Amino acid sequence: MTAEFVLTGASHSYGAGICALDGIDLTVEPGEHVAVVGANGSGKSTLLKMLDGLAFCTTGTIATAGRPLTEEALEDPAFRREFRSRVGFVFQDADVQLFCNTAFDELAFGPLQLGLDHDEVRTRVAEVAASLRIERLLDRAPYTLSGGEKKRVAIASVLTMRPRVLLMDEPTNALDPRSQVWLLDVLDEWKRAGRTVVIATHDLSAAAESCERMIVLSEEHRIVADGPPEEVLAQRDLLLSVNLVHEHAHRHGADRHVHPHAHEHEHA
Amino acid sequence: MHIPDGYLGPQTYAVLDAAIVPLWMIAGARIRKTLKARQVPMMALAAAFSFVIMMFNVPVPGGSTGHAVGAVLIAILLGPWAAVVAVSIALVVQALVFADGGITAIGANVVNMAVIMPFVGFYLYRLVAGDRPGFGRRIVAAGIGAWVGIVAASIAAGVEFGLQPLLSHTASGQPLYAPYPLAVAVPAMALEHMLFFGPLEAVVTMGIVAVLARQDSALLDMKPAARPLRWLWAALAALILLTPIGVLATGTAWGEWSAAQLKGALGYVPAGLGRVGTLWTASMPAYMPPFIANPLVGYLVAAALGATLVVGVAWGLGKLLSRKDGSTPVDPPSARL
Amino acid sequence: MIPALAHIGEAPPRRRGSVRSLARRTADAIGHAVAEVLENDELASGPGLMQALDPRFKLVSIVAFAVTASFVHSLPVLIALVLATMALAAASSVSVTSFAGKVWSSAGLFALLVCAPSATAWITPGAVLVPLGPASITAPGLLIASRLIARVIAGAGFGLLVIWTTRWTDVLRALSSLGVPDLVVATLAMTQKQIMSLLRTVENMHLARESRMLSTGSATENRGWVVDRMAFVARRSMKTADDVYDAMLARGYSGAMPSLIDLRATARDWAWMAAGVTACVLVLGIDRMVFPT
Repeated sequence: MTAEFVLTGASHSYGAGICALDGIDLTVEPGEHVAVVGANGSGKSTLLKMLDGLAFCTTGTIATAGRPLTEEALEDPAFRREFRSRVGFVFQDADVQLFCNTAFDELAFGPLQLGLDHDEVRTRVAEVAASLRIERLLDRAPYTLSGGEKKRVAIASVLTMRPRVLLMDEPTNALDPRSQVWLLDVLDEWKRAGRTVVIATHDLSAAAESCERMIVLSEEHRIVADGPPEEVLAQRDLLLSVNLVHEHAHRHGADRHVHPHAHEHEHA
Repeated sequence: MHIPDGYLGPQTYAVLDAAIVPLWMIAGARIRKTLKARQVPMMALAAAFSFVIMMFNVPVPGGSTGHAVGAVLIAILLGPWAAVVAVSIALVVQALVFADGGITAIGANVVNMAVIMPFVGFYLYRLVAGDRPGFGRRIVAAGIGAWVGIVAASIAAGVEFGLQPLLSHTASGQPLYAPYPLAVAVPAMALEHMLFFGPLEAVVTMGIVAVLARQDSALLDMKPAARPLRWLWAALAALILLTPIGVLATGTAWGEWSAAQLKGALGYVPAGLGRVGTLWTASMPAYMPPFIANPLVGYLVAAALGATLVVGVAWGLGKLLSRKDGSTPVDPPSARL
Repeated sequence: MIPALAHIGEAPPRRRGSVRSLARRTADAIGHAVAEVLENDELASGPGLMQALDPRFKLVSIVAFAVTASFVHSLPVLIALVLATMALAAASSVSVTSFAGKVWSSAGLFALLVCAPSATAWITPGAVLVPLGPASITAPGLLIASRLIARVIAGAGFGLLVIWTTRWTDVLRALSSLGVPDLVVATLAMTQKQIMSLLRTVENMHLARESRMLSTGSATENRGWVVDRMAFVARRSMKTADDVYDAMLARGYSGAMPSLIDLRATARDWAWMAAGVTACVLVLGIDRMVFPT
């Protein structure tokens, strides 16, 4: 089976040569659940954008399902159609992702862009809405939804394209605890369904819970660790050096001691 | 300057509503060429920005606050045609969501604030800014462009208002729509904007350009000065000529006018009109045929002069700039804007 | 600049003796505007005569009403139109007092200010009703001013009524099925959404400033701050446009915006249409025959 993504020495810089990713070698196999962790600005989001064909290699190569993923390749309508329906992207900011008139239109957008006939579009929208339990939101304008509802609609809007691969940027960000649990359940379900998932996050506990492979990006925009979450999380010094955890001072009575400490949420 | 329904008579709003259709089509074609598929999010955000700018209360000297329009700023950031689309969308959303500005008057509002204002302001900005790389001069240029742009728009609105008593009145001559003659409406609108809203617009535009120059100067890259199509100017000129001619569509032709006929037709002469009329007739040599020394003709001349002045200034600036651009074409920084 | 916009921010009544800062006033105004749009969605989803109509028919009738009103010359017919908008409001579960208040504050008051001078002898000579020297109110002047105010109120009222009884999402669907290009409708949809999100940002910026300010600040300081925040909004808008474009591309966007719309006109809609056409013809007929001017 061909790998879902193969990156070879992939680098990306933007503007006046500001580096976002440096010499990334990475293979994602079908069905894998991969968490990409790293501090702010380490290049997680850029990596996801490159996997989704929204940003491209400055040097190095990236291939998907055996074909090079380049700007030119995506200009081919047949490849674009195949790629966009196979790979879905859930953005960090649901406000950015929801740009249509109603939640229904959001869910219908992708299938309509794929050129599916209208009955098929309606069927897909109904199916996905039922599975994520958002039927009652379909008629509403996105700006009237709550944060958790927006996230559900954003995920649903990607699922109607029936992607085999899901890329998610900070999926647990801005979600209340109940919605976070719901999201982890959804990820489990996808796991059983054999979907490939790549999550970019700095929520180490969520990453460990939902993925069997963890990749750590350093602040120098390179991969510094790649393995099962238990192994990666055991390397405290490494996590300290990439700024994912930090020394935390506690006071126990009169004693003061310092230990590494991982934050579940971003420092404001 | 948002004109609600009810102030403009059918002849005026019909002409202006018809005029914006081709303008929108040209603008649409222009931005499709420069922005390609990006046009939808770009225009939506620019329109939202334009709308939100109008929501900020800006303190003005004297303890009061006012609103800016931002059309010239958007033209500086995205080019004049993009400003036409963005400000038009903002105006349509205002009319359809917030019930601001009329339905029939949408053409007038678009022509004043989404066409005249950004074009006049943008070309003046380009003229004053020149090709200098420094931002100091551009900031001043933005201020001048904003001030002149909004004043030009207000004069256009004043002309639209001022034509109403001429175009529509009862048998006894009472105005049916906006009641003030050109001699009152144009100076009132122009003065208000020269002294109050113009400086506000200039301060806001300069301030934002200055901040952007400091923080994100790529946004201020010179956009290509879209050369206005020749026939667009021709259409505008025709519009100016046609609007006052509507006054005469009462069954008489130019040459057949006589003072007596006019009295019969109008019967009643508003005081303002009387004043302008006296001025006009007094300045006419005695040997002139009577129809020229007529208050209504004085009126028409004033209307045509005002509108021609606005368009003429914009056209002259465009001419000057397109000559400059001809030698050194400015490329768009990239399709990404 | 935009007298009509000022009403959006019709802030709650000011407490006696407290001077609200500029930041607070703006934040209140914006918060109020956002709340109004959201409440509007609720009102439009509720029961009522106008709510039950197909949005396409309502959009057509907004134009028909505005055009008809613009051709009416006689004051009694214009007043009848104003009363008709109030009757429609009552039939559409809209509180007539809040409707009238909103129409008056958004359009009527401004029209009154604008035409006040035209009611005086200075602009319109004629039989003096209220002698006030050069500002004496004359009979023809009063007629001219009342006619304009009535026409403005009628037009603004009907427009407001349609907006209050139609959800924005339905307005867009109607535009789309009336032949407005999909790209334009999509841009309008995105604009409205971004306005809501930018307005929230702007409201929060003003509240944050308010919470950190001890005095109300000088005009110069306030102006500097406002301009700086506007520049921030400009940059944010540009960045969001890029992000939204990426999000569209990610879902296969290729430049077209097809949409799925199934609006079905019912007998009620056609009845409304027939009644509307009859009303327009009657109004113009009465205006020209019964009240020739």
